Amino acid sequence: MTFKRLSISVSFAVFVLYGGLILSLFYFYDGALFFETLRSARTLFSIRLSLFTATVSTVIAVVVAIPSAYALSRFRFFGRQLIDTILELPMIVSPVALGAVVLVFFNTPAGALLQDHGVRFVFTIYGIFLAQFITTLGIAIRLIKAAMDEIPVRYEEVAKTLGASPARAFLTVTLPLCKRGIIASSILTWAKALGEFGATITIAGSMAMKTETIPVAIFMRLASADIEGTVVLVLILIGIGLGILYGVRLLTGKALPV
Amino acid sequence: MPRIELKNITGKVLNDVSLTVEDNEVLALVGPNGAGKTTLLNVIAGLTDYRGEVLFDGKSMDRVPPHKRGVGYLFQDLALFPHKSVAGNIAYGLKVRGYSRETIDARVSELTEALHIGKLKDRLPYNLSGGEKQRVAIARAIAPFQKILLLDEPTANLDTQTAKYFRSELSVLLRRLEITTVFVIHDLLGAEEMADRIAIIHRGSIEQVATPKDVFFHPETHVVSEFIGMPNILDCDECTVLSTGLVEVLSGNMRVVLPYEGNTIRKLAISPHDIYISDTKPPGPALNRYTGTITEIIPLRAVVRVKVTVDGTGLLAELSRETFDEMKLAVGSAVHIIVKLRRLRYFEV
Repeated sequence: MTFKRLSISVSFAVFVLYGGLILSLFYFYDGALFFETLRSARTLFSIRLSLFTATVSTVIAVVVAIPSAYALSRFRFFGRQLIDTILELPMIVSPVALGAVVLVFFNTPAGALLQDHGVRFVFTIYGIFLAQFITTLGIAIRLIKAAMDEIPVRYEEVAKTLGASPARAFLTVTLPLCKRGIIASSILTWAKALGEFGATITIAGSMAMKTETIPVAIFMRLASADIEGTVVLVLILIGIGLGILYGVRLLTGKALPV
Repeated sequence: MPRIELKNITGKVLNDVSLTVEDNEVLALVGPNGAGKTTLLNVIAGLTDYRGEVLFDGKSMDRVPPHKRGVGYLFQDLALFPHKSVAGNIAYGLKVRGYSRETIDARVSELTEALHIGKLKDRLPYNLSGGEKQRVAIARAIAPFQKILLLDEPTANLDTQTAKYFRSELSVLLRRLEITTVFVIHDLLGAEEMADRIAIIHRGSIEQVATPKDVFFHPETHVVSEFIGMPNILDCDECTVLSTGLVEVLSGNMRVVLPYEGNTIRKLAISPHDIYISDTKPPGPALNRYTGTITEIIPLRAVVRVKVTVDGTGLLAELSRETFDEMKLAVGSAVHIIVKLRRLRYFEV
């Protein structure tokens, strides 16, 4: 077997693995139940809550990520390595642990003060925002930084010699040039936020019709041995996720004509 | 426009560089790769850190950020904004400086006409040829009424013929705009065509700043002499007009014929690689052809310099190593030499 054939075979094996797993869901698929579950108030609430929280936390994460990614991409400053390393925290530490860290923080005097006089995060929708934000921020910065690294600093230098302030050069040259990259990063961040489970259930809990996102709902159905219900929710989540990723492929597939 | 003064600039590859560029002057920075030419442009534009002083019209620029220096810069890689059209690229500097729509439109039209890119206004950069990109980048650098213009290898992306034409066109434009210009170029011929003065830079230090003729006829250091190719300088004892546009120069016992109007030539410079050596008598008329004896052989890395004495005048010729080996030349050999007529440089009274 040639190396080319071997590598193609492995990639097909990967496809069979995931495809097979998804296909196995249909063993427990019940058409009538699917639509019944889909139309139930609890499921619709979960879908709406998931879409809404993922969107809000993605917007916040991207707004924070853009300037941070820019700094990490363009400047060499004290503490840069440290920040770069800490961004990997959400990727190497389990989301449950991150959620636990947040919960512990809210039990310290500073955290309690914030909860009492600011926003109440624990067991509220704000807890979902926070959970999704802290677990996706690192990846959002990484992805946007990669998009910015692709844009040569030269364009900003040109803009500056033409009279643009550094901020103006960033807004009129770098940002439009990495627009596609930022949109693609945002969509991936959104997909990650949509599937977030560990930190969400730890901080916001799993109250039906209050803090039950789709992943949490899947866990709850499974915990009560409701296989068919689980299958329905998983299919919904897969449907949304694959749709979004296909969108990303379409966006990034077309290279910017340079 | 402004006079640029650089005082004791040190940093990166630069080593205590002091240089003055006069009002409206076009100065060429010439030197080998890695000499610090581009770094010096970056210092003037404020794009790199440095020690020393940069003054425009006596005003210190050291704390002035690049966007407030008023320096147009044509980068070697051009870096046209890929997301903006030709007109958008040219208008960019005017827009960020807050010029009115009318001024912007008028200026874009003026420059696109002057640089013959009027028909390309709506095109995106990826749709342009190398020469067109070059023109757009120059128009963009000049557009926001810059006082100083820096050009890094302005003809590097063009073929030889286009480059020559473009240099003369650019020369006219720069003089018309009365803009103080510093440009980097690696070949001396190009520098000569455009510059009022040439600064030769080597390993981060300025070796000589002088008019193109002075650089050629009075190289001040060995480095300059090496860089311009160690020309043979002949003193002219007599200059006789042969016919309209053709003169014969007598230097010692050597007679050289060259195209020239008048009879005021005082010195001639002949580059060693413009002197051909042959071990057999070349066919054709005996114009600028001599016989001589090899008096010295100086082997260099890729080439060999051969000193030939013709009627008491020593001439240095340069051959590739292969040619030298093929011809089996040795000190004392008699050879025929041909001086290329086209490339003779002269120095007048």
